Amino acid sequence: MIFLKIAWRNIWRNKKRSIIILISIVIGVIAIIFFEALSVGFVNQMVNNQIGIHTAHIQIHKNGFNEEKLIQNYLPNSSKILNELRQLNEIKHMSQRIISYGLITTAENSTGILIAGVIPEEEKNVTKISEFLIEGSYFLTNKKEILISKRLAKSMDLSIDDKVVLLASRVDGKVGSELFRVVGIFQTPNSVFDKSTIYITLVDAQEVFGLNNNISEIAIVSSNLNEVAKLKDKIAKIIGAEYEVLSYHDLIPTLVMQQEMTGNWMLIIYIIIGLAMIFGIINTFLMSVFERINEFGVLKAIGMNEQKLLLMIVYESLILGIIGAIVGSIFGLSLVVYFSKVGLNFALFSEGLSAWGIAAIIYPEIVFFSIIKAFLVVGSISLLASLYPALKALQLQPVKAIRYV
Amino acid sequence: MIKIENLKKIYHDNGLPVKALDNISLEFQKGEFTVIAGSSGSGKTTLLNLIGALDKPTEGKILFEGEDLSLKSKSQLAELRLYKLGFVFQAYNLIPVLTAIENVEFTMILMKIPEKERRERAYKILEELNVANLADKKPNEMSGGEQQRVAVARAIVTNPSVVLADEPTANLDSHTGSQLMDLMEKLNRDRDITFIFSTHDPIVIERGRRHITLRDGKVVSDTSKCLQ
Ligand SMILES: Nc1ncnc2c1ncn2[C@@H]1O[C@H](COP(=O)(O)OP(=O)(O)OP(=O)(O)O)[C@@H](O)[C@H]1O
Ligand SMILES: [Mg+2]
Repeated sequence: MIFLKIAWRNIWRNKKRSIIILISIVIGVIAIIFFEALSVGFVNQMVNNQIGIHTAHIQIHKNGFNEEKLIQNYLPNSSKILNELRQLNEIKHMSQRIISYGLITTAENSTGILIAGVIPEEEKNVTKISEFLIEGSYFLTNKKEILISKRLAKSMDLSIDDKVVLLASRVDGKVGSELFRVVGIFQTPNSVFDKSTIYITLVDAQEVFGLNNNISEIAIVSSNLNEVAKLKDKIAKIIGAEYEVLSYHDLIPTLVMQQEMTGNWMLIIYIIIGLAMIFGIINTFLMSVFERINEFGVLKAIGMNEQKLLLMIVYESLILGIIGAIVGSIFGLSLVVYFSKVGLNFALFSEGLSAWGIAAIIYPEIVFFSIIKAFLVVGSISLLASLYPALKALQLQPVKAIRYV
Repeated sequence: MIKIENLKKIYHDNGLPVKALDNISLEFQKGEFTVIAGSSGSGKTTLLNLIGALDKPTEGKILFEGEDLSLKSKSQLAELRLYKLGFVFQAYNLIPVLTAIENVEFTMILMKIPEKERRERAYKILEELNVANLADKKPNEMSGGEQQRVAVARAIVTNPSVVLADEPTANLDSHTGSQLMDLMEKLNRDRDITFIFSTHDPIVIERGRRHITLRDGKVVSDTSKCLQ
């Protein structure tokens, strides 16, 4: 206790210096908490966008479909599977889809795209495509309506009510072609997706591809995002080996990569902050230790052993570290709370961000674990940073120390 | 109780050897009141530091109550200083962030003496040395003489067998200096604590009952009053 007391008073002996250390710790902690929240917000937005735009949590296909989205690989016995899946409480929503390649053509242009045939009401529950419409409307009827992206509309010079022809190879090997009317134009935060995907209704898709009542994909939203892997295994067991059951992790492998990349960036930020703090503290502590050489000499002379002397010095920086971590956490959290409501506008980088499937505004998310992290980081930093000056103080022989008197 | 045999201390100052103590042999008995005099640089501080186990001799050995200091570990030496020795330096004796009474208590805390006993003993010593009124003052709120008194209080509160005082009066005026010496004489008498001083100060020299004079690291005279 007495060592804590002495350490505490020593801290306030040189107020200016201690406050400088404190401020640097506080800034470091704020940075750690804020960047952590930002990166979690970033990753979650990325995941949610990817999931919410089209992928959903789980997809079921015939084996091999994901590799090659051929219309011949449609889902056998889909109504039987659907009935089995409807029994599962873990499934919140399902959407039946037909997915395959085709061509969209006008008098002037033609381009290859991925055709998604969906049941409008079902798809609304599974993905947010209906919310991403910026012009026109969502499907009104089942009569040859098509939703295209703003990018596509621009590159093919299309607007609402324009007519396009979809060409696709049918199950029977012939080429199907149907005339469609543009009813809605959408824009998602994912530019890559926008470039390549169009929506029509399931009924129309069945006609284009000559599929009768068949579908090629079931997209599933789980009632708990954290238990997707469990649900995936369960479904796979129920429906058998003829089908592939894929989670969004399997479907978007880049997502994992992007998550890892964000994690690596965080690590780099931690290291930079940590190093800045360590050198700041080491420097100031070395100064303060050398100023007190004669004091340490006297302490040694009157019988204080080295461990206790070490402890006393380390306490000083630990106390500063803890105060800094508390104050920093309060500020950092307030900042995160504020920006989690208002959002952080990265409009400047929106081009780059949309390639990541991210909107220009990022909402940091409060991560309570990051506070523990900040405490651990700051605690070990202040320990490390004071250890060197403290060991330096021990090396001083009491005699030499006293000679400075 | 302290026996010094063929003690040599050579410092290396920027590579040049400095002979601070040259083959010294001495013996101190319990209850002695010894003054070590000698011109500046004659080796007084060096000798006290070696006796106080604050430094290691180049050659020779010191037996403290029969035990060879060179055979002890760092932490054993720290313990020896804590339990057996008291130090009073020329200046800056006290821990600046602690009050007078906390300073006196400090060594007892290191000895793990319970708080209540600690307080009582510290207060009693301060009273005995006439500085109880300073109990709650920090060193920078006291005069030099007051600080030295508190330092003496801290040195003796643990009942050491020896107090080593390196020029304790150097920063004091002569009146305050002799008061401090009165105090230490009394403690020597009442408690049978052995005192070893180093000094230039005539006031201290005059009070000594045994006088050792050093020159260039050698003992040039060693006289005791009672033998005269
Ligand atoms: N740590 C050291 N490193 C190098 N030389 C030293 C060291 N300590 C003492 N000396 C030298 O050893 C000699 C004896 O010094 P010491 O301090 O013991 O003398 P002193 O009698 O106490 O002098 P003063 O009366 O000035 O205090 C001097 O020449 C001094 O310069
Ligand atoms: Mg000296």
